Amino acid sequence: MEKYPAIKIKDGQKYFYRFSLNQRIQHFILAFTIVILVLTGMPLKFHDASWAPYLYSLFGGIKYAPTVHKVNGAILVGLFFYHIFYLIYVIRKYHIEPAKKRGQLKKYDALKMVLTQKMVPNLKDAYDIRDLMKYLFFLTTKRPDGDEMTWKEKFDYWAPFWGMVVIGASGVILWSKELFTQILPGGVLNFLLIAHSDEALLAALFLFIWHWYNVHFSISVFPMGTVFLTGYLSEELMVEEHYQYYVEVMKKAGLEHEILPPHGAHGHESHEGGASS
Amino acid sequence: MILTRAQKIFPVIFLSLLIFISYPLQTSSLAADIGNCLLCHKYPGLSRIDEEGQMRLFFINESIFNNSVHAKVKCEGCHTDITEIPHKPAIKVDCLVECHIVEPSTETKFSHKDVASFIKTSVHGKVDSAGNEKKFVQDYPDCKDCHDNPLYRPLSFFKKVRPGISEASLGRCRVCHKKDDFIYQFYNHVTTRLHKSRNPLNIAEMCARCHDDSALVARHGLSTKAVFSYGETFHGKAATFLDERVPDCLDCHVNKGESVHQMLSHKDPLSSIHEKNKGKVCATIDCHPSASPKLANYGVHSEFNLNQSPAQYFFTFFFIVLTGGTLLPLMGIIFLDLVRRFFPHATIGRRK
Repeated sequence: MEKYPAIKIKDGQKYFYRFSLNQRIQHFILAFTIVILVLTGMPLKFHDASWAPYLYSLFGGIKYAPTVHKVNGAILVGLFFYHIFYLIYVIRKYHIEPAKKRGQLKKYDALKMVLTQKMVPNLKDAYDIRDLMKYLFFLTTKRPDGDEMTWKEKFDYWAPFWGMVVIGASGVILWSKELFTQILPGGVLNFLLIAHSDEALLAALFLFIWHWYNVHFSISVFPMGTVFLTGYLSEELMVEEHYQYYVEVMKKAGLEHEILPPHGAHGHESHEGGASS
Repeated sequence: MILTRAQKIFPVIFLSLLIFISYPLQTSSLAADIGNCLLCHKYPGLSRIDEEGQMRLFFINESIFNNSVHAKVKCEGCHTDITEIPHKPAIKVDCLVECHIVEPSTETKFSHKDVASFIKTSVHGKVDSAGNEKKFVQDYPDCKDCHDNPLYRPLSFFKKVRPGISEASLGRCRVCHKKDDFIYQFYNHVTTRLHKSRNPLNIAEMCARCHDDSALVARHGLSTKAVFSYGETFHGKAATFLDERVPDCLDCHVNKGESVHQMLSHKDPLSSIHEKNKGKVCATIDCHPSASPKLANYGVHSEFNLNQSPAQYFFTFFFIVLTGGTLLPLMGIIFLDLVRRFFPHATIGRRK
């Protein structure tokens, strides 16, 4: 993991490692294909809407847009399987294998390692949500001390994960309906169509409202967060969202004396300026 | 001034040329206007308000009419009651009349009478099998409820299939056939008939005039607003984007090789969509050739309502709840977050 130092300093500013190049490329493919899938799928879902034929014709209309949709769907399904193998690879290489080498791998340890991965929801997320509510309802000025992955990021990860299972599986079956209805009754397709399109609408709204608010439109990141490009997060955002992890990383790097106070604490002028601008 | 010989004959040549060029323009009409009906009906404004207060337009656009499937039929062929000019208000055209066309295979006068006999035994017939008039007989269609005078949609098959007439093919027609009128007519007729003269959306809209009428659907105890539910399937959606490859109502509801006028109720064992036969509907060579009969089990006319398809209704309801349940709290957080950022240091609790 030395490829990516935990803290990079550029122009006197600290940047904190978040995502490897591999992960960023995965995210880029995910984002690109989903946008195309939404643009080629929604005109069909809302075929009666006035904008539908115009949007659809941008992708070649009924003659070509379904093919564009299927090609992008296939890429996304491929990415999903790649990601599963990537997860298995990473967990084996960085967690299971080292433990094995040390001879410390006991029964159920591998399972425990999977369940304690940083993306797996845990009790701290529940406390963070409670603390966020306290903050949002003006009960405190202190934001929750986020860990490396906050509940928002876990939500952003697991919602598309579940979405891809539902939309991907239903999409593949609808695509090869002749094959699957050799066994399944055709009536199943009615339900798969509902699942495919309704879950897709949920996913699209989730990503374009919630995810884009957090990474694009929120006052702290507007006009655009850059972590998905650079893989590194600025100190300011690190303090705001991942304070607990920030302190941990700073201590590990021997920079205890440079640790900033938590977001919203008194006397931290830069955030006041940021919030009122 | 003395004119040279060439100067003398120039106006003669010029005028001859002019007449020669304009000659084909004058003789482009297919159905000879023997009764001279266009004397009046060529005027675009020819119209009147009829007894029911409806505006009636009597203008005939000759070039459009000559591109329609009835181009060869003369006005008098259908309007048999009109024998003099000026004429009294015309009687409604009876489509079963023997028009002046001779049907070439039997060399008898042409008529749509056979269609009437098909309709009689079909689901759209006005009498039941016992010969009694059906209930709500006024709801059953007449010819013109479904048909107008469709335009030719010729296809070129020369090197690839495309709309229009293949000039290259016409050259081959002219080897044997001398009259261009006949060639165009025949070409148009045959190639128009090799595919459908209407796109699926047109057909669906035509059927919808009755089958999406809630009152009519209820009166006849039909299970669905048929075109609405068709519109919720991929086929129906593709049809709204003017896809011509998807099936319309007629493609599934009529046995292949039969006239659309022979459409039968799904309860009739001879119907293409009868429980026992419908497995074959999807698996045709043009549609889903490798499909098993199970594919036809797909609910083509499922509506998302509680009475007609409760399972799908609740399934959709689940996704609506899931969507609302996910998005509303998150949007609430976004809203609170925006408000909170205006007052970063305000609190009603104890300051830490």
